[in-house]
Parts: sequence; structure tokens; C-alpha cells
Amino acid sequence: MKLNKYKPPGLITWLVAKCLNSDYLEEFLGDLQEIFEDRVEQKGKTLARLIYCFDAFHLLIGFASFSIFKTQNSNIIMIKTMFRMAYRSAIRQKQFTILNVLGLTIGITTSLFIGLYVYNETTYDAFHEKGDRIYRVNQPMIWNSWDEQFSSTGPNVALALKAEIPEFEELTRLLNLGSQTIRVKGESGEHRFFKETSFFGAEENFLNVFTFNAIQGDIKSALNDPLSIVITKETAEKYFGFGNVIGKSIEVKRYDGVWEDFIVKAVIENVPKKSHIQFDILSSFKSYPEMFEDNEWKWNWTSFSTYALVKKGADIAQLVEKMQAIPPKYAAATTERVFKQSFEDFTKGNLWTLYLQPLSDIYLSSAPDWHRFGPTGKPQPVRIFGAIGLIILVLSSINFMNLSTARSTNRAKEIGVRKVLGSRRKALVHQFIFESILFVAISTVLALVLVSLTIDPFNALAQRGLTVRTIYSSFSFIAVLIGFVLGLGVLAGSYPAFYLSSFRPIQALKGKVNTSFRGKGFRNGLVVFQFTMSIALIICTFFVQRQLQYASSLDIGIDRDNVLQIHNIEQLDEKADVLKSKLLTNPAITHLGTSYATPTNVWDGERYKASHLKDAVSADMSNFRTKEDYLELLGVEFVAGRNFDPEIQSDKYGAILNETAVKALGWGTTDSFIKDSPIGKKVICDFDNELELQVLGVVKDFNFNTIKEEIEPLVIMHSDNDSIWNYGLGRSYISLRLNPIAIQTSEDLQVFLESIEKEIYKIDPSTMFEYSFMDHEFEATFRSELQMGKILNLFSIMALIIACLGLFGLAAFSAEQRMKELGIRKVLGARVISLVVSFSSEFTRLIVIAIVLAIPVSYLLVNRWLSSFAYRTPIEAWVFTVAILCAFIIACTTIGYQSLAAANKNPAEVLKDE
Amino acid sequence: MKNKGLGEFEELILLAVCILEGEAYGISVKKEVEKHSQRTILLGAVHITLYRLQDKGLLKSEMGGNTEKRGDRRKRLFTITDAGMKQLRASQDVRQKMWQLIPQLNSGL
Repeated sequence: MKLNKYKPPGLITWLVAKCLNSDYLEEFLGDLQEIFEDRVEQKGKTLARLIYCFDAFHLLIGFASFSIFKTQNSNIIMIKTMFRMAYRSAIRQKQFTILNVLGLTIGITTSLFIGLYVYNETTYDAFHEKGDRIYRVNQPMIWNSWDEQFSSTGPNVALALKAEIPEFEELTRLLNLGSQTIRVKGESGEHRFFKETSFFGAEENFLNVFTFNAIQGDIKSALNDPLSIVITKETAEKYFGFGNVIGKSIEVKRYDGVWEDFIVKAVIENVPKKSHIQFDILSSFKSYPEMFEDNEWKWNWTSFSTYALVKKGADIAQLVEKMQAIPPKYAAATTERVFKQSFEDFTKGNLWTLYLQPLSDIYLSSAPDWHRFGPTGKPQPVRIFGAIGLIILVLSSINFMNLSTARSTNRAKEIGVRKVLGSRRKALVHQFIFESILFVAISTVLALVLVSLTIDPFNALAQRGLTVRTIYSSFSFIAVLIGFVLGLGVLAGSYPAFYLSSFRPIQALKGKVNTSFRGKGFRNGLVVFQFTMSIALIICTFFVQRQLQYASSLDIGIDRDNVLQIHNIEQLDEKADVLKSKLLTNPAITHLGTSYATPTNVWDGERYKASHLKDAVSADMSNFRTKEDYLELLGVEFVAGRNFDPEIQSDKYGAILNETAVKALGWGTTDSFIKDSPIGKKVICDFDNELELQVLGVVKDFNFNTIKEEIEPLVIMHSDNDSIWNYGLGRSYISLRLNPIAIQTSEDLQVFLESIEKEIYKIDPSTMFEYSFMDHEFEATFRSELQMGKILNLFSIMALIIACLGLFGLAAFSAEQRMKELGIRKVLGARVISLVVSFSSEFTRLIVIAIVLAIPVSYLLVNRWLSSFAYRTPIEAWVFTVAILCAFIIACTTIGYQSLAAANKNPAEVLKDE
Repeated sequence: MKNKGLGEFEELILLAVCILEGEAYGISVKKEVEKHSQRTILLGAVHITLYRLQDKGLLKSEMGGNTEKRGDRRKRLFTITDAGMKQLRASQDVRQKMWQLIPQLNSGL
């Protein structure tokens, strides 16, 4: 089938299909499509789409008028009249009509974007057929903070659950095997190398629990045999091109350098974006038999995730209760064997609970806030944006109501005349409500068009893949939109509809009804509310920006700029030294260091205590292994003792602590070092199963994971220490501090990176060159906040624009009402400037009230948001002042424009018809 | 009300249908009229007029001729009826008669 490259706008086609009689539909859509395709060729895609919309609407309107021609139905005639009246009153007050529709359109557009964003974030993992019965088994963070939930469990949690609880239909485990080096034999016999970062191991029944659609092969049995893999379509194309790939093999490099053959058993469609599990390759657990030996004591290997499919109709609360008996019964073997502690000693009185978390909650939950298999959502931005979306919608709705009611008072005479001519009250009510619904509907349609035109830039900003299609393919969106149109329409129309239509015609015609001051207090209240909200938003935005700036320029104790980190060094083994000596000759490098972890990715930890002390407190500490060169490269400051010394043999059994670690061990703070130095003391792993480490030095605290949290205790051990447990020796890195003078432009950097890549290729062609920059890594730890900051900027500007449009409209309306008053005062000798001041003061008063209200509101919000950061910018008064001044100046300009225009009018013009 | 005669646009559309001889549907009629009258017209206007003429009994139509370009949808093909032909001739006659009444002195211009 030929792929249709350009499609006409689906929304419009859908609309036409809904509105038109099906007898005519086929030929119309045919004609529209034909002409659309002609235009795509002649005038380009965008223009063609625009004309398509226009044509479709013209057709619909034409059709409506055509059928009216043939009817004498009084209802239709009435609707036509109502249209005409609405049109006339809209044209009579062009300025207000435009303001009204524009403000509402902007508001709805913004809210639609936010709605799409929130909808996107809250509907992850919805595509699994058995999704409502799938749960993830969580447990407490058994390594340090027992009160936090942890998404990973040991491999035999699933086995214990399976053995004890019959309500589970299936239990399946998933393991992220980390990045893997893969080679595939090409047609001419040469190898092509790939790096796969989404390479997971999965249990045989994984694909029976989760729904992924097979393109080739049988998915049910695909993972049954050892060394079998399932790959996604994209991966299949990358390795083998198109065609049948079942039975083909790929080779995966094992930790010991041996290449192992895996056979492709099935190809599935690419994993949907909205899935918390994102893999390219799944290999069967059977391929790694050594991993699953001695299962009975592997409760501490918390790298797996356990997913459970519960039987239909199972009572979840009861099930969870039943699960709590499992850990004491099964985990004891692990604690005794691995930690030489009884279960009770290990948990220290904490409950080792098992939780069941529904699949639909996994992506966006804050507890646990992290997992190993794909994206995690942040609930906080979703809540904040949801609130802002609602506020903006309310602001623009208030505007609309304000202006509609204000405008309608001008129509008292029209109502009088209509009543005299015999109009019933019911007809007037209908007319006003109809008009207001019509305007809301027009704004909504305009907003939909605006959203579809600007969705691409918004996606780029929010880094999401939102589509307009979601709006009209989802019942709830359509229902909310229709509800909104009717709701706001009726609400905004009801004041004129019910209040104005109750006028006695004679009074109305005589002008006795003093309409201009009716509902004024209410309107003023709404203006104050609007400005309170927008000023508060602006203040919050200011602080968010300041905090982000603060975070990115924070002194973290190490120099994070110009540090290049080369990954995968562990694959080079002893050949790493060759690379090192090569790099050391490069003049662009000022320092070179090797380490087994790099800042922001220090994940290993252990519980330590002071050695040889009977009642020593033990504390959880992070640790990583490195050599003296890396600490020099980081530029950490020693507050006591010294760095590792390559000349001293025994240094490899030493350790360097940070200040927090010293404090945690109960050895005092920097000030007490003179009296009681920690240097030479010994620290040991809490389980007494390792050699003690002699403290060589204490470094000043520096951030090694995220600046959102306080610095944790840290133990730095020597890479060559051969007497401790093997942890921390997985990934190895070479870090380079670059000379900014030698590498100035991005071209320089490109050349430099390519030269390193060549070096590595020369040493070992199967090792992939991967790198990162330390400052980028730190920035990545608050990327979601940065992104939120950008979107927040946009939204607060929108809110301010909407509030200003409303103020502008009200000021204009008031100016019109007071035109004669101002004219008379001018004739009597008032100067323009005093008129402007007296006119403006009415509104500036409202703004001042709003400012007074906005300060405490924003203070509370800012304070709350900042409290999620360990390092925060102070809440300073001048920021408030600047934000308020900005808002005030913008508001005053808005009013000032109107008051100047009103005060400058020639009184003769204004008063001539009196 | 009965024999109201043709509007100018209606006449153009009818003529176009005659020219196209069985190949007349929305777009071809639009193109034909645009070609001869040198003005841009909207597709909707063409459709509405075609239907109005059919209602008046001057045109008849049937579905047919789907092409891939149209997303496999059929066209409604219009042909002129006897009554339509009569109307066209009648309006031609009216014009002809009126032309002949213009004083001959100006004919050279």
C-alpha cells in the first residue's frame, strides 16, 4: 500500500463527518482530499491544510444555509435571527469582542496544553491487556532508610511469594543487565559492534504477563530456552536490516571478554513511549544459570524488580497482609549468611514489609521515586502545572464574564425596544445565553486550531510527544470541552440574561436604570483575584529562576567544569594503562585520574563503624574506589591528613573520609581535630567481616550525587585494596581535566574527542567510546526542574497577558461609561493630567490590594517549593519588589493608555448629542 | 415564482456541466468555471449551486469514478436534464433578443 505522506487535518475531517448527512459525505470528502493533494504539490503542506479547513467550514456553512432555504421551520428562523443579533452586537463593539475572544482563546489554549501534558503523564502503561491485575512488589529501602519504598527486590522474593501465596497467577522478574557490547557478523564476514544500554534479562513468563505485540516469532515461548532473546523492531532493523530475523544470532561480550551467542526468537513492535519499562533487547534468565544458584539466600541482591499478576477477583488488601509473613520466614537465611546477623538484628526493629503497587501508579508515584527500567515521572510538576492550568482557565473565564456583564449593560436600551415590540422575556434570556455560548464556542475552536499549530514548539520545550489527536480521540477531553463551553457560556450569559431582561421597558428606555454601577463590586473583586494570582505566579517564577541559577552555579566543593569522563574503561583491563600513558602526552589535558565511580553516580554504600570500640555507632556511608590522581583532579580540599601516596605501600589499605563521615562516626568536627585528630584511627565495615581501614585523610565535604540533597558521609578507598569485598569495582572511568585554553571552540573539542576515540579503537576495537562531562551530569540531576522553569516562564507570562487583557477591557469600558463625566470636567477646566490620575486611581487601588494579597500567598508557595532542595536561594525582599514593580508597571501602562485616550477626547465631540 | 430564470453563477455552472459532458463533479466544475471566468471560486459555492440546480430539476446526478487520489471515494457526476437545457437556451434567447435591441449605431465599437 502506498503510504500517504500528507494527510489533511483529521480534526476537520472528523467534524465534517459528524455534521454532514452521510448521503453527501463521500463525494465531499473525496473532493476535499483531491483538491488538498493538488494544493500540497502547488503551495506546500501548511497552506494546503489551512485552505482545507477554510473550505470545509465554508461547505458546512453553505450546507446549513442551503437546507434553511427549503424550510419554513420557525426554530431555524429563530436561530438565524439569534445569529444575526449576536453578529450585530459583536460588530458594534469590535474592540470588546476582540478582547473578549482573544483573552479566552489564550486561556483555553494554555489550559489545553497543560491538560494534554497532565493527561500524558497520568496515562502511562495503559496498553497492557492484563494491566489492571499487574502489580509491582516493592519493599522498604533495606540499605539505609527503612521508611522509604524501594522498587527493587532480591531474586528469590518472587520464589517465596510463588511458594506461599496461591492468589498470584504469575510472578515475573526483570533485571537490567546494564550496557552491553554486542557484535553482529555482517554479510561479508566482518563484525559490526554496537552498544546496547537497554538490555534486560527477563523471566520466561514475562511476555505472558505484559503485552508486547510480536511481529515475527512466537512470543509466548520466546524466552523459554537459554541464550534466546527477543528484540524490538528498531533493534532488528539496526542489526539485520529488513526481512526475517528469527534464528539469527548476535554475540554479547561477557564480563570476562568471552563472546556468547544469543539466538533471536521473536521480534516485537517498538516499546510504546508511554511505558515505564523501556527495553531494546530481552534475554531469557535461563541464559545465566549461575545467577540463580543458591537462591535461598539472595534477598539482598536488590537489582531485580518483581511483578505480580494476581488472579481475577483477588482481594488486594488481604493479599498484602498475607505477604507480610514472608520476609521474616525467608529473608533470615540471607541476613545470617551474608551479614552474619539475625533477621531482627539486620532490620533493627524496622518492618520488612512488601507492598503491591498497581501498574498504573508506577510511572508517576513519588514512593518509590525511581526504578531501573525506564522513565519515571515527577508528580510535583504535574501537580503544579495542573494547578496553574486551572488558575489560568479561571482567570480567563473571569475575564470573559467580567467583560460580558460589563458590555451587556450597554444594551439596556436594546432590551427596552425589544420588549416594547413584544419580545417575551424567555426570548431575551435565550438570546443572551446563546450569544455567550457562541463566543465561548468560537474561542474554543480557535484555541484548538492554535494548539494544533503550536504543539511542535511546545513539545520541544516540554520534551514530550503530545499530539492534538489525544483531544478528539478521548471521550473525556471532548466531554470536558463541551461542558466548559456550556458551563462558562451559561454562567457568563446569566447575569445579562436574567437581570437585564427583567427591566421595565419604560425605565430602560428613559435610561433610568443606572446600569453602570451594577455589579461593580463583584467585578472589582474578580479583578483583584486575577491580579493576586498573576502577581503571585510572577513572584514564584522569579524565585524558581533564581533557585535554578543558584543551583547551577553553586559551589559544590569540586571544580566540575572542563572535566571529561571516559566510560567503559573496565573493558580494557590492563590495557587501560596503555591508554593512560597515551593520554598523558596530550597537552590539552592538565590532570588525569581513574576511579570506579564519578560524581552524581556514586551508588555504592555500606554501613561503617569506628573500629575497636565496644558501643560504636554505625552509619550508612557511600563509598567509591579511586587513586590519588583522581582526588587531585577533582581538586578536593584536605582539612586533615593527606592524599593516598603511591610511594607508601600500605596506603592501599587506607581510606579517606569526608567531614560528614567523620562526624557520623562520632569523631568530632573540623574544630576538634587539633585536640583529637581522626587521622590514624580505624574504620571498619559494620559486619566485622572485612579488614579495617586506616584513615589517611579527611576532605572537605563536596557534592558527589545531587545538590538536591545534603552531602552524605563518604568513604574513599584505594582501587588496589585487595583485602575488601569486591564491591565498587564494576565500572571504571578515566577522567580528564581539559585545559580550556587548548580547547576553546566546539570544533577543537570535536577533534579532541575523535582523537581519543581513535586511541581506544587502536587498543581494543570492541570497546565503545562513551563519555560525559561532569557539569552536564550535575545539571542532569535537576533537569526536570530546569524544564519546569522554562514552562513556568511561559505560563506566567500567559497569566499576566490574560489579566492585562481583562484590565484593559474593564478600563476601556469604564472610560466609555465616564466619557461624558470626563468631558464636562474638562469643559469646567480640569487638566488632562488630573483626569488621568483620578481615572487611573480607581484601578490602581485594585492592583495595590492584589499586591498586598499576593505577597503572603507567593511566600508560602515559594517556601514550600524551595524546601525540597537542600541548598536553596534565600527568599529576599528585593525579588518581591522587582516582581511586583514589573506587574505594577505593566498594569499601570494598560490603564494609563485607556485613561489618556479618554482624557484627551475633545469634549465637544463627547457632549454634542446631549 | 415558477419560471424564475437563472442567476449568473448558476448559468456558468450549468454551462460548465455541459462542457464537461459526464465528467462534471465538484472539482472539475470549479476548475472549468475558473478557467473561463478568470476568477477564483470556493469549492463550497460550487457544491451548493450544483445541489440547488439539481433541486430545481435542471441537473441530475449519479455516483461513480473513484480514484486513489480521492482516498478511494466516489464522485457525484452531474449531467444536464432536458429542463436544464431548455432553461439555458431560454436565457440565451433572452440575451440574444436584448442584444439585438441595442441601437446599431454603437455596434462598431
